[in-house]
Amino acid sequence: MVWFLVAGVLLVLNGVRAVDRSNFKTCDQSSFCKRMRTMGLDQSPYRAILETLELSDSRLTLQLINDNNKVRLLLELYRLQGNMTRLKINELKPLRSRFEVPDVLVGEPPTKPLSMVSRDEAGVVLSLGTDAHQLVLNARPFRLDIVEGARVLLSVNGRGLLAFEHLRPRKDTNTQKDSEGEETTEGAQEEGEEREEEEPGMWEETFKSHVDSKPNGPSSISLDFSLPGVEHVYGIPEHAENLRLKTTDKGDPYRLYNLDVFQYELYNPMALYGAVPVLLSHNAQRTMGIFWLNAAETWVDISANTAGKTLSGKVLDHAQVPSDAPQTDVRWFSESGIIDVFIMLGPKPSDVFTQYASLTGTQSFPPLSTLGYHQCRWNYNDQEDVRAVDAGFDEHDIPYDFIWLDIEHTDGKRYFTWDAANFPQPRDMLRGLQDKRRKMVAIVDPHIKVDSGYRIHNEIRSRNLYVKDKDGGNYEGWCWPGTAGYPDFTDPEMRAWWASMFAYDKYEGSMENLYTWNDMNEPSVFNGPEVTMHKDAIHGTWEHRDVHNLYGLYVQMATAEGLIQRSGGVERPFVLTRAFFAGSQRYGAVWTGDNAAEWGHLKISIPMCLSLGLVGISFCGADVGGFFKNPGPELLVRWYQTGAYQPFFRAHAHLDTPRREPWLFGPQNTALIRDAVRQRYALLPYWYQLFYHAHRTGEPVMRPLWVEYPQDVATFTIDDQFLLGRHLLVHPVTEQGSQGVSVYLPGVGEVWYDAHTFRRHDGDQNLFVPVTLSSIPVFQRGGSIIPRKVRIRRSSTCMENDPYTLYVALSPQGTADGEIYIDDGHTFNYDRQKQFIHRRLTFANSSLSSSNLSADSQFTTASWIERVLILGGQEPSAVTLRTADGSRSLEFEFDAATSVLTIHKPGVNAGSDWTVLLQ
Amino acid sequence: MVLFKEVLLPKCNESGGSSGYLPLALIMQYHIVVAVAICSAVFVDSRKIRGISLAYRKFYKEKKTFLCLDGSKIIPFDQVNDDYCDCLDGSDEPGTAACLNGRFYCTNLGFRPCYIQSSRVNDGICDCCDGSDEHDKRTRCPNTCRNLGQQERAALEAEMRAVDDGMHLKRQLIKEGVSMWQEKQNQLKDLQRILSGLQTKLEAHRKRKLEADAHQAKVMGVLKSPGDGAGGKTAARIFGQLDINKDGSLTVDEVQAGVVNLQDDRSLTEEEVTALLGGPGPADLFRFQQTLWRSLQAAKKVKIKADLRGDLGPPNEGPATRAAPSAARQGEANLKEMEEALETTRAEIGNLEKVLSTDYGSSREFLYLQGQCFQLVVYEYTYSLCPFSHVTQKSSTGAEVSLGKWRYWAGPQEHPYSRMEFEDGAPCWQGPPRTTLVTLTCGTETALKRVREPTKCQYIMELWTPSACEQQREARRRGVHSEL
Repeated sequence: MVWFLVAGVLLVLNGVRAVDRSNFKTCDQSSFCKRMRTMGLDQSPYRAILETLELSDSRLTLQLINDNNKVRLLLELYRLQGNMTRLKINELKPLRSRFEVPDVLVGEPPTKPLSMVSRDEAGVVLSLGTDAHQLVLNARPFRLDIVEGARVLLSVNGRGLLAFEHLRPRKDTNTQKDSEGEETTEGAQEEGEEREEEEPGMWEETFKSHVDSKPNGPSSISLDFSLPGVEHVYGIPEHAENLRLKTTDKGDPYRLYNLDVFQYELYNPMALYGAVPVLLSHNAQRTMGIFWLNAAETWVDISANTAGKTLSGKVLDHAQVPSDAPQTDVRWFSESGIIDVFIMLGPKPSDVFTQYASLTGTQSFPPLSTLGYHQCRWNYNDQEDVRAVDAGFDEHDIPYDFIWLDIEHTDGKRYFTWDAANFPQPRDMLRGLQDKRRKMVAIVDPHIKVDSGYRIHNEIRSRNLYVKDKDGGNYEGWCWPGTAGYPDFTDPEMRAWWASMFAYDKYEGSMENLYTWNDMNEPSVFNGPEVTMHKDAIHGTWEHRDVHNLYGLYVQMATAEGLIQRSGGVERPFVLTRAFFAGSQRYGAVWTGDNAAEWGHLKISIPMCLSLGLVGISFCGADVGGFFKNPGPELLVRWYQTGAYQPFFRAHAHLDTPRREPWLFGPQNTALIRDAVRQRYALLPYWYQLFYHAHRTGEPVMRPLWVEYPQDVATFTIDDQFLLGRHLLVHPVTEQGSQGVSVYLPGVGEVWYDAHTFRRHDGDQNLFVPVTLSSIPVFQRGGSIIPRKVRIRRSSTCMENDPYTLYVALSPQGTADGEIYIDDGHTFNYDRQKQFIHRRLTFANSSLSSSNLSADSQFTTASWIERVLILGGQEPSAVTLRTADGSRSLEFEFDAATSVLTIHKPGVNAGSDWTVLLQ
Repeated sequence: MVLFKEVLLPKCNESGGSSGYLPLALIMQYHIVVAVAICSAVFVDSRKIRGISLAYRKFYKEKKTFLCLDGSKIIPFDQVNDDYCDCLDGSDEPGTAACLNGRFYCTNLGFRPCYIQSSRVNDGICDCCDGSDEHDKRTRCPNTCRNLGQQERAALEAEMRAVDDGMHLKRQLIKEGVSMWQEKQNQLKDLQRILSGLQTKLEAHRKRKLEADAHQAKVMGVLKSPGDGAGGKTAARIFGQLDINKDGSLTVDEVQAGVVNLQDDRSLTEEEVTALLGGPGPADLFRFQQTLWRSLQAAKKVKIKADLRGDLGPPNEGPATRAAPSAARQGEANLKEMEEALETTRAEIGNLEKVLSTDYGSSREFLYLQGQCFQLVVYEYTYSLCPFSHVTQKSSTGAEVSLGKWRYWAGPQEHPYSRMEFEDGAPCWQGPPRTTLVTLTCGTETALKRVREPTKCQYIMELWTPSACEQQREARRRGVHSEL
């Protein structure tokens, strides 16, 4: 009805093909990227002025000078707790202050003492705690090497690509000079400027019809890192790319600039909706990470090298690297801000996760229900539509927890409102869902319709909280509602006000079971450069250029805060975001944006979510079925099967696509989808436990194989299968017409059990698994215990009190262990009042026992242990249960064909101590 | 297994009102409800018999052992409803959620009994109206069966009445359909006859005209003909004037009301009119042109009533004043008129054949919808459904979009006339052409009741019509009546 108007707008703006590359800049079209990338690989012009070195307990400062223009920089070095080094470089005396990213670090990282080992004219050597770990600083040219014993772990400026465009007055306005600021650098600067003036795009840049006025002139920064002995690097999402990053010598660097990319292409370094400037390096000996804390447009070049080519200077006194050893060089460059880098030294993958989590926080612990299945579509048209879809799930006996409303539910894309004709009684609708113990998510985007009849707009305007344009007026762009303002979410006052809008009395029609989705928060500006905000727009005292990649994080932060506040701080929030930055994991879930109903998009959902998991964002998913275009039944079924084993499990579809609720493709496909969703629900206890761990430790829920098998080189490039936690290996079928998949089962001396047939397979092999349409190849690691709830109900909440079935998969040594985690599933009481159950389940010496992992927590559950399956077991003569109340024997049956021992009804409470003995 | 599925009961969430035909078996269940009420005192209401229908109680009598209903296993009776699934068919846990394939019997005294999936037992949602599915005491479920029963019976009664009324109307519509059909058949025959007559005449005329033209050209050179078909138009105007009820045909009464004797203004007799119209039965424009119109033009016997003539507007020339200017012109005008008449007749025959070749249901009960349109306003859009023709959507701004042209009946095999499919409407932007699916629902009026667009550019409409009322609902009515 009214939609074709909207669709018309969308399509007119974006066309209908795959990505229109001309809408987005190449490195050549981004003037600083071009400048930086064409910089020669000569000797670095920077030298450390050792006389300026100051070393306090945990901080070293030192001036660097660019011998070409005599501009001085200030280097700060910190040794951080947990085996990290922080490196900051700023101008010693910048003309104006340069932007330093706030609100991303959870706090000022705690430091550790830094001591000098030696010092001479060539440089200094600092100890990073142990004798083996040292930091070697070479003065001329400036370079840093982190060494462990005789091994160089990482070099900074090894290729001399440190660059720092100092702020300078505009030439045509440079009539009166600030004498103080110019004192030391004046002459050189003049000289420098002469050279630099030649570079186009420094003071103004045009892309398509958009002019970037660049009033502050050039301000970009760059630094290179060399990783000797490293051939595999990962991370820096978001890109539609393999897990292992490729070298970028032959094309553009990987770009980090949050953009609303229409119909993105696969295997491409183009920027997408979110950016996490964290890169992980890995080899069989060590995993490390580089966190480049900068929110401006950033590019990352990756090249393969040999170690000997870049090793020079003082470090040669300390360490040697075989000159032909492989090396990966990584170079970062950003348009503005300062250099602020965290070098996470591992050495294990889990150490890097812990280190990064200590800086930016961990995955928020989501409400249990949000790990269930989400049914979304642009759009469910009205309340009756919602009711009918809800009823459809019951009729077809498919569980789901959330139904979603996209932009059409609002009154003319005025967020926080409802379309009066189609959603006249939102509370009735929400109550209807609540009666089924289900929930809803409604979209709230950050662009605000400019309409004097719209309360939200009026208040933001009158509070003067909109982003400003370069001339000081309210910035206006074009988005779903037409002309829209963009709240300045970088302003704490704006965020506080926004959060307050989620109060039940402010957000009319909202209820406890209504949660929020933040889309378009890159921010998307249909008529802006690269479909986003002009870089010279103003956020308080900063340019949009400085804060761009942070905008989306702030939107989600404020929204999550609003959902917490509306419940008086009791309930955990759920907010899905499309744009993100380092730290976004603290605020909710992320999805991979507007994908398409194509096999390639199904396949790439795995590496895209794996990459996000590596940099802290565990709650990741792709639109099941594909957003654009129309999936055939086979693709849809395979996507459900894949999505059921990915963290955020939501089906979504474009407005123009035909309906695709799970029961619309014939009974056979409905049954296949039902089965996939049911597998998800059975496994929810395990998912929840994994998220609890992610929340506590920062370890990814969905992880690449190499994270658990760091020494197995064969795992380093695998991205068509993955692990959930340590215990489950999943290889979804992502090829059309597949007859089988080749699954790599890692682990010398380990065994894996097919999760469906319980057949046992040896580790350290490529196993061909024949598949049918119903197959989802999943394997449980021998040595693990996984709790499931096999009584599948209409929603996860309905399963709250249901009993557990424990799947004990024995290792070749006849042992296994696992955990069980239980809390109320939705409040912060697990944290604030320690109301949870966390138990260890151990199988050894023919006995399975449950013991408390958290003595000071308390929670009572109605759930009990219904059944125990011991995979790879033997037939006992008797099975006895021992509890505090005494012993009794249990019924059991043993299937010799599969070696599965099923123990009936221990019946013990899931929160109690118990032992089951096999005799 | 077979035993267990013997009695077909509806799911609890199926309401009798909207699910259509209610099987007789269900009606029987009302009696069982009563029986249960009487017999339940005999049984001890324990956990063991929870979730079991009366018919199955015999399998769950307290004994030492229990045989799974599929015969696959014998278990101690203690294990019936002990919240652990032992039987493959789920029959040992009729009252708990332990078996994935189990089902729970809601007695629902006062309403109708039904089965729910065992996964709905103790899940915090009240499914049985008697609340028996939530027996773990965590959720309080009020007993709503009595109310529901009353409501449903009232609704059923109302529906039955509506269906009765609908059936009555439907029978009338069928009757009307029969005569309409006959009429159209007759019309077609008449038209075909006229067509062949016309063709013969036209041949002759053409021949004459050719001769006349040849003669005229020879004598006078080529003269431009002033003939402009005005005769046809005037004929149509007068026809329209006479056609009081505007049904496109003239009856004897209508002619009597508008045409009088030339000499004495006397009203015409029925026989005279029949003669003037060239035969009995109503005459359409074409027949009028061929018959009465000629008489009027010739102005020999009859004329238009004086008071009507004034309405014809200028130029107010009676047929009598239009003297034939010349033989050639007269011939030419006649030829032209005849060609037009032929075209009109052909088109009419085509239309009629198309109309007659359409499927209007087993008793042509939907024939009456032919040629009608039904409107519904939804927000800023006006939807118009013209059965057997087309569907449109008009926005408040005035733009009209085709939502499809009539294709075929699209109902399932057992109810082929329950849905109409309209296809090939205006294409969506970058998408397929719009389509509309119309579902026909039994109602006492014919009206467009609902329009939805669940998927963009795929419309679903609901049309109420007595013709969709089904005879078999009678069975249900008997059931309800006997229940009351």
